[in-house]
Amino acid sequence: MSGTSRDALMAVAASREIRDGETAFIGTGLPMVAAYLAKATHAPGVNLVFESGIIDPAPLELASGVGDYRLAYGSTKIAGTFYALSLLQQGKIDIGFLGTAEIDAFGNLNSTVIGNYRRPKVRLPGSGGANDIASMAKRFVIIARADPKRFVEKLNYLTTPGFLTGPGAREAAGLPGSGPVKVITDLGILGFDPASKRMRLEETFPGISPAEVQSAIGFELVPYADTRAAVAPTEEQLDLLRTKIDPNGMYVKNLQASR
Amino acid sequence: MGHSKLVSLDDAVALVEDGMSITAGGFAHSHQPMGFFRTLMRTGRKDLTIMGVAECWVAEWLAAAGMLRRAYFSNFMFEGFGRCRRFSEGIENGMIEAEDHSHFGMVMRLAASGLGLPFMPMRSQAGTDIMNVAGFEHPAAKAQMFRSPFDGTVVSLVSPLKPDIAVIHAARADELGNVELYGTTSVIEEQVRAAAKVIVTVEEIVTTEEIRRNPQATLIPGMMVDKLVHLPFGAFPLGVYGYYEYDGAALADYYEASRTPEGTRVWLDTWVHGIATHWDYLDAHGASRLLALRTDPHLGYRYDIPEGVAR
Repeated sequence: MSGTSRDALMAVAASREIRDGETAFIGTGLPMVAAYLAKATHAPGVNLVFESGIIDPAPLELASGVGDYRLAYGSTKIAGTFYALSLLQQGKIDIGFLGTAEIDAFGNLNSTVIGNYRRPKVRLPGSGGANDIASMAKRFVIIARADPKRFVEKLNYLTTPGFLTGPGAREAAGLPGSGPVKVITDLGILGFDPASKRMRLEETFPGISPAEVQSAIGFELVPYADTRAAVAPTEEQLDLLRTKIDPNGMYVKNLQASR
Repeated sequence: MGHSKLVSLDDAVALVEDGMSITAGGFAHSHQPMGFFRTLMRTGRKDLTIMGVAECWVAEWLAAAGMLRRAYFSNFMFEGFGRCRRFSEGIENGMIEAEDHSHFGMVMRLAASGLGLPFMPMRSQAGTDIMNVAGFEHPAAKAQMFRSPFDGTVVSLVSPLKPDIAVIHAARADELGNVELYGTTSVIEEQVRAAAKVIVTVEEIVTTEEIRRNPQATLIPGMMVDKLVHLPFGAFPLGVYGYYEYDGAALADYYEASRTPEGTRVWLDTWVHGIATHWDYLDAHGASRLLALRTDPHLGYRYDIPEGVAR
């Protein structure tokens, strides 16, 4: 098990967050893999929505992005970006997935700039649909490799709301979604302390100690007594990833070698 | 019957003046009006503003050509490649001013204009630096918090954005400008309704009888369109659903060149300034390369012939 690729562990963990019968808002990369994995295993009834306007597709091949024509194949509705995003505001989206350049202890994300906003050191792509998903999906999951440069005490720019400044802040801003539920990293899975809304370590991946996770996080995690080992991926899940969902390793790297 | 909207590409491009604001259709590597913008880049227009959601290649090429001054936008990046380098470095070195939004924030500002409203209420962006940190707009001129007079719900209000010109590339149209587009439609409906003038380039011109046969396929009615250009492969090197895939090698060529200002200059000299017309641009790539991009009518994308099988 310790040989299982980190990408596979993250994809399987993300797929477990999706429940059967839900509607999930999906972007490019590991979330796409996680969604198809969920659909092929425990959540056959999941409905997928993509910000490009593709709804409930049945692609024959893994798409290279949400704009790839491969993704449109077999969809039950094809529309525009406004339609897809407005479903979030209406409360039709149960779960969304986000990546990020920076994340703070409250699960707030930065995908806009490093440095000063008007004359940044590095200009990043910007929110896109991320702010909309985090504000308005009923819940969302962040997927990000653990690194003290990514998990920071203070963001350069707050693009996308986690719990903002803490308890009550999302409600004051009128954000309809309930906020982030999990942060899936390559070392383990973080969650949020219900009282402080700050991050805590809930599950560790094989061979990783809580101290190793903390050392890869640039802020103090809230102490948590019930940290446990993450449930290992099943042979079926790994086999599906390897043979059906991402056979060319487009998003899940080093999978072919993993057993 | 109305009048024909058909004009030459040069005549359509001439509508764009220095200092204008532009919005353009498309998403990722799909249906952005690249033929129009390559031609615009040869005119040397300057101080343009983009009001964009996902037209990353348009923003990047305008930035590369030094024509872009300001950007109201939500996300510009190249799916599968990475950052839009000339656009991003333009912001880093102060040549381009940025005003950030979420996708929905941009769409709602365009929709406000398109619906003739002074603002739109919405429920994202609040509480974040998109509302709290000023770009070139005063934050209070961009969005404000508001409590519903009906049930007390807290929303944010965003002000309208009205681009001078929307440029759209689509599948086909009749001469009156009734436009069809297949596949995802990005933000085209909101952009067209928001803009003061609308220019559409299309792969094919068909009769009005053909449009009337299936009116549900019409994305934009002719009354919304000012100028129409017949421009086959008008999105190339990007793709158009039902017609052709994007040319990955051509995109990679640009992406590599854009790593440095010098490389970008050479690329612009070769592929923009060094080529007189859209047709010369297509000829420079060659018929076999264009035909190899054609999509399968059933799949909606190109069926990849297995390796080792002769084409």
